[in-house]
Amino acid sequence: MQEPRDPAELLKAAADDDQTAWDELESRFGPRMWAVARVCGLTEADAADAVQGAWLRLLEHLHDIREPSGVGAWLATTTRREALLILRKELPRAPFFDVALDSDPAAAVLEADSSRILWRTVSTLHEPCRTLLQLVATDLGYQQVALRLGVPLGSVGPTRTRCLEKLRTLISSQETVQ
Amino acid sequence: MINDEYFLAALRLAAGNDPMPGHVSAAARDAYGLRVPQAVTAAPAECAAPHGVRGIDGCQLVRFVAAGLTFDLEVTVGDGLIDVAGQIVPHPGEGTHVDVRTPHLTLTRRLARTGQFAATGLPPGWLSVVCHRPGHAPVQTRWVRIRP
Repeated sequence: MQEPRDPAELLKAAADDDQTAWDELESRFGPRMWAVARVCGLTEADAADAVQGAWLRLLEHLHDIREPSGVGAWLATTTRREALLILRKELPRAPFFDVALDSDPAAAVLEADSSRILWRTVSTLHEPCRTLLQLVATDLGYQQVALRLGVPLGSVGPTRTRCLEKLRTLISSQETVQ
Repeated sequence: MINDEYFLAALRLAAGNDPMPGHVSAAARDAYGLRVPQAVTAAPAECAAPHGVRGIDGCQLVRFVAAGLTFDLEVTVGDGLIDVAGQIVPHPGEGTHVDVRTPHLTLTRRLARTGQFAATGLPPGWLSVVCHRPGHAPVQTRWVRIRP
């Protein structure tokens, strides 16, 4: 079986008219770009625009990416920038996204393609945080979460906030160590 | 609070609950067919009205500059479709044509003596204009997102 080509090689081949190299870039980095756009809070339609915009930017820069081996990170960053521009247009009064995009460790986690790390960190949390975050990540409503955890409905929101804060602290300390 | 929502979205995505739709992947692959070999890319520039602002009649004015050419585009979105009225100055010369492009549709227009051109009925989304001059490298504007 053929060895997968490295990103720099793929980029060079794509610049030299190789559609298969472009397709391979897409299959390798597309899902991460989608995740970045969605994490920014975009709807599916807007996220599709942000991802496509990033690919069009790559077309514009096929021959002048400074670090070809880092094309994956370049695509993720470009997707985030396009997502931010879309958000600014749709929600002109939402400057908080600037802060969130630049400083939230979740962005770094996603861009490092390490969702494994995120879930490993969740698994180190004590209960009820571990179960609660697993439940809210599957889009269960507060009522269902309260039932599953056996806690009053009114306590789910505040507990969720506390658990996310703990997760954020743990992720941030990992980022610092790295 | 928004940071919490953002973090939760990361968790949902990491849990694999929000896979990328197939049409997004297909559109990315099709985008490769939009490259213009040897093209010079015209960057956005300031125009009389601030870049990207909406005019009084709802149109959006955008300017791009490269290779001694200035592209002024007035983009209007009506009935869910895009109309583009543009001008390239100075006139790029005899035999020049422009492609007004979206990922799904390209309309080709000859330039008027004034450097003006128009294209109507384009689908909303990403838009770019490419100027083809005999004896010169093509000049393409950066892709710009146009939505109602």
